[in-house]
Amino acid sequence: MTAVTASKTSGTVEDLLSPRAAAWKSVAETSLPLQPTPLDAQPSAYVQKAWANRDRGNVPSVKVKALAAGDQLVLRLEWAAPDPRRTISDNNVYADACAVLFPSNGKDAELATMGSADKPVTAWYWRAGAAGPFLATATGLGTVSREARHGIQATGEWQAGSWQVVLAGPAKSARIGVAVWSGIAGERAGLKSHTPAWHDLKVG
Amino acid sequence: MAKKAAPSKRQLAMVFDLNKCLGCQTCTLACKTAWTTRAGMEHQWWNIVNTFPGRGTPRDVFSHGGGYTKKGEPIPGDFPSKRLWGEAWDFDYEGVFGSNRDEPIPLHPREHDGAAPQWGPNWDEDMGGGEYPNSYFFYLQQICMNCSEPACVEACPRESVYKREEDGIVLIDEERCHGYRFCAEACPYKRIYFNEQRNIAQKCISCFPRLEAGVAPACIRQCPGRVRHIDYLDNADGHIYKLVKKWKVALPLRPDFGVEPNVYYIPPTSPLAFKENGEFDDTGSRIPMDYLKEMFGPGVEQALATLEAEREKAAAGKKSELMDILISRNWNDLLGPFTVDPAQLQRQPVR
Repeated sequence: MTAVTASKTSGTVEDLLSPRAAAWKSVAETSLPLQPTPLDAQPSAYVQKAWANRDRGNVPSVKVKALAAGDQLVLRLEWAAPDPRRTISDNNVYADACAVLFPSNGKDAELATMGSADKPVTAWYWRAGAAGPFLATATGLGTVSREARHGIQATGEWQAGSWQVVLAGPAKSARIGVAVWSGIAGERAGLKSHTPAWHDLKVG
Repeated sequence: MAKKAAPSKRQLAMVFDLNKCLGCQTCTLACKTAWTTRAGMEHQWWNIVNTFPGRGTPRDVFSHGGGYTKKGEPIPGDFPSKRLWGEAWDFDYEGVFGSNRDEPIPLHPREHDGAAPQWGPNWDEDMGGGEYPNSYFFYLQQICMNCSEPACVEACPRESVYKREEDGIVLIDEERCHGYRFCAEACPYKRIYFNEQRNIAQKCISCFPRLEAGVAPACIRQCPGRVRHIDYLDNADGHIYKLVKKWKVALPLRPDFGVEPNVYYIPPTSPLAFKENGEFDDTGSRIPMDYLKEMFGPGVEQALATLEAEREKAAAGKKSELMDILISRNWNDLLGPFTVDPAQLQRQPVR
């Protein structure tokens, strides 16, 4: 599994929060393949039935750049979204979103099911048009719990057919996963694309 | 079987008498002023009264899926866009009444983006069905049905929607809700709204803070037509039990949706139809029986026959328990155990 390397930088998180910041240009990019979340694991018979014949997990890959600024991990995600959903503007409109996932113990957890009772996952969640990012923990699909006080920052911009999102926060994990929700496909909750397995995260 | 809501210990239920509703919308406003005045709730009408036959609110209300098949499998549904419910339209009062602006001023309200409204609550009021002189309609009041098999509860992957054990009321935990809106798709009656500003689903809460203080829900207590009854379904001395179980004249709406709703309706009687020669056609209801069966299930024919027989009995001066219940000469009899006068309660400060 491809590793994601976060080179140390002397810059501050504030310098890096814009996806267009000059510092990102020279950072090596890693492309991580994504796959749809398993439908039979969705904790609702309604969701399983309603999505049995619907496309989901349509975002095939996400490009990741990483930097370490002091104790902060700064990640820049980029994925193709030709027809973006920038905000929840109607009853049946869902906004594009992404999350960076970590095993809460830093080593292992079930990624496809968002953790389990004894091995939770931690997520930094960003959604287009939302007031701010969330820090979340989960012990399985449907259990995500958001925390109001957290040290996560995020900035997202859409340009030239893709979302570019920078997420920053304190990270102690050695492994990382990514999830992407396609708004136009109606994806939300456990319906998303995600990395099939954890990727090693190397700092230095 | 996909159904998963645990049965409640008791079930609170309501009966709405469609023959008494005058379409005044007092219930609608009682609910609106009590619950849906805050930000993001402007378009929400947890209680709604529409003319039927009609398209309802949202438009074509019973054609958006949800509920269960006869085998108990969930039926995929959709959550209609805002335009099919009607926004809280913008009215240019200043322009219409007080302006000398040198421009055309629209008299009609507008959607927030300036477009002309295409649909809204009670949009097709009093249009009904049939052709003169055999036209007909009735008013249909809808709130959350507190279903015994609530599709919304099953649909939520976060268990944010739940059915209360003590009285079977279905509620959404706004702290848990993440705005996924599967519940709104799954509800076959389309009684769940979306609060865009807070990214949460919201719906009728059966006025549970009032119930807990012994006060009937606002829509029930304020109905000037004495249309609405409330009680526990298992109270054999109460109106609900007698109307639903004993007399079998109160029927579920669209029982084919498979969710076992706990709001029941006294089906609408109608005057005799006219034949082409102007004579009365006494062979049946002016409202087509097929339509009534679709709306209220196969029990509607017998329910209407019972109502007619008891009505004639009462008209002949005989005692009819059924007519006494439906008339409810003592207004508090409608309210089951919830007869506390809210004016006598000490008001709690608004959080």
